[in-house]
Amino acid sequence: MIPRLSQGLADLAAKLARDIAPEAGSRYAMANTGMVSMLLGALALDAERAVDARMTDIDEIKSLLRSAPADAEPARQPAAAAFLDRTPRSLRLTDVDAVHAEGMNLLIALHDWAEHHDADLDSRIWDFLVRHSERHRLDPGD
Amino acid sequence: MSPALTELGARLVAYLSGRWRQPLTLKHIEQIPGGASRETYRVRLDTPTGERGVIVRRDPPSSLIDTERALEYRTYAAVHGSGIPVPEPLLLEEDPAPLERPFSVMAEIEGCETAVAVLAEPGREAQRQPLGEEAWTLLGRLAALDIDALGVTGFMAMPEHTAARELDYWAGVIEADALHPQPVAAAAVRWLRRHLPPPSPRHVLVHGDYRAGNLLFDGDGRIRGVLDWEMAHIGDPLEDLAWSLDPLWGWPARERAGGLLPRAEAIRLWEAASGQRVDRELFRWWQVFASLKALAIWISSTEDFVRGQSKEPILALAGWVMTDRQNRILVDRLRPGSPHRYTEPLA
Repeated sequence: MIPRLSQGLADLAAKLARDIAPEAGSRYAMANTGMVSMLLGALALDAERAVDARMTDIDEIKSLLRSAPADAEPARQPAAAAFLDRTPRSLRLTDVDAVHAEGMNLLIALHDWAEHHDADLDSRIWDFLVRHSERHRLDPGD
Repeated sequence: MSPALTELGARLVAYLSGRWRQPLTLKHIEQIPGGASRETYRVRLDTPTGERGVIVRRDPPSSLIDTERALEYRTYAAVHGSGIPVPEPLLLEEDPAPLERPFSVMAEIEGCETAVAVLAEPGREAQRQPLGEEAWTLLGRLAALDIDALGVTGFMAMPEHTAARELDYWAGVIEADALHPQPVAAAAVRWLRRHLPPPSPRHVLVHGDYRAGNLLFDGDGRIRGVLDWEMAHIGDPLEDLAWSLDPLWGWPARERAGGLLPRAEAIRLWEAASGQRVDRELFRWWQVFASLKALAIWISSTEDFVRGQSKEPILALAGWVMTDRQNRILVDRLRPGSPHRYTEPLA
């Protein structure tokens, strides 16, 4: 087994782009090979960090919910309380994604509330969205 | 040529020979890459009067954009001869029998290319500026055309409130197609609803996907065709301008409109050609909307790739890489105190 998944994917992406795409028999095949190569490169980047990025998101959303003011209704719902106690059943992406999605839905509701009631919380949620989008970016070094 | 292409070519020749009542022979057929909403084929035919090139656009099993083929075809017909260069539409076939799915045929504009990325190649720098100047001048001219004179009011809906209609539609696409929560899109939709502009005082023909990648240009860098009118509609003149200037289209040269020329210059050229001034506050709404609409298309393509029949790489590319970039652009646009890494504060 190739121990480093991300390295294996990145090497395949490079091979496709460098050696295989130029040999494709049509412009259509060449363009699609190039796209698959680009995707493999992006997935190589994500494979290494996917669980870590989602777990960090989950932790940060929990912090935002805990720090929300007492009258922040979305943070006081039973669903929010349940999420604060939740950890993924395993570190498989499917399990992590399920908890991540739960947190993201709560974040959306909290953000909607903060836009109307709490400028500081609104600003902190935007700060989170900046970190979140940077954590999940698929363009290395752009 | 693959067996599938050979068979498609044979069926097309049989069909066109009947429609045009003349014997035709297939010389060449190839699929053109990048046809995200329709499968696009370049076809060369031998006819009794000489060789002829046509472009065939066939419905795919699923696509990036759910569009109305008849509306697109009629838009091509309306715009052809208006001064905006478009391929001549030749026929629309909505019966799936001849080629398994509905399709349209257009005359090929020969000797041209569409991939603006090639202009990034060394030695082609000199073509970028004039191509950009022509692109935004053409877009301004499109915004100056009378929609009644064009005839598009005969088959396109006249909106009561353009911005509200467009926002409702694309917010609905996100709601229907998102496979997981989208906090950036949700924040953008709320922002757009809070800042909804008044109804547009003037209605124009909006291309709906006007960007450098949809321009057909010749070896001298002259624009010979504006393609892909499948999202055309009657709307606000600022919609196309904002869409054309989204940083995504110039990636990674985000500071230049479509990677071609400075955005402020593109706006100036558009204003001169359209005879309209850009209201910067209003324009900001359309800029945020443009980024949201693009994100909606990427979200929808993700759903298509996962649940649909088509596994075209461009759907997956949109679902991963484009979604990522567009999220960052929207965060950059909307975040209070944004450093504007991807976008200018205004315009």
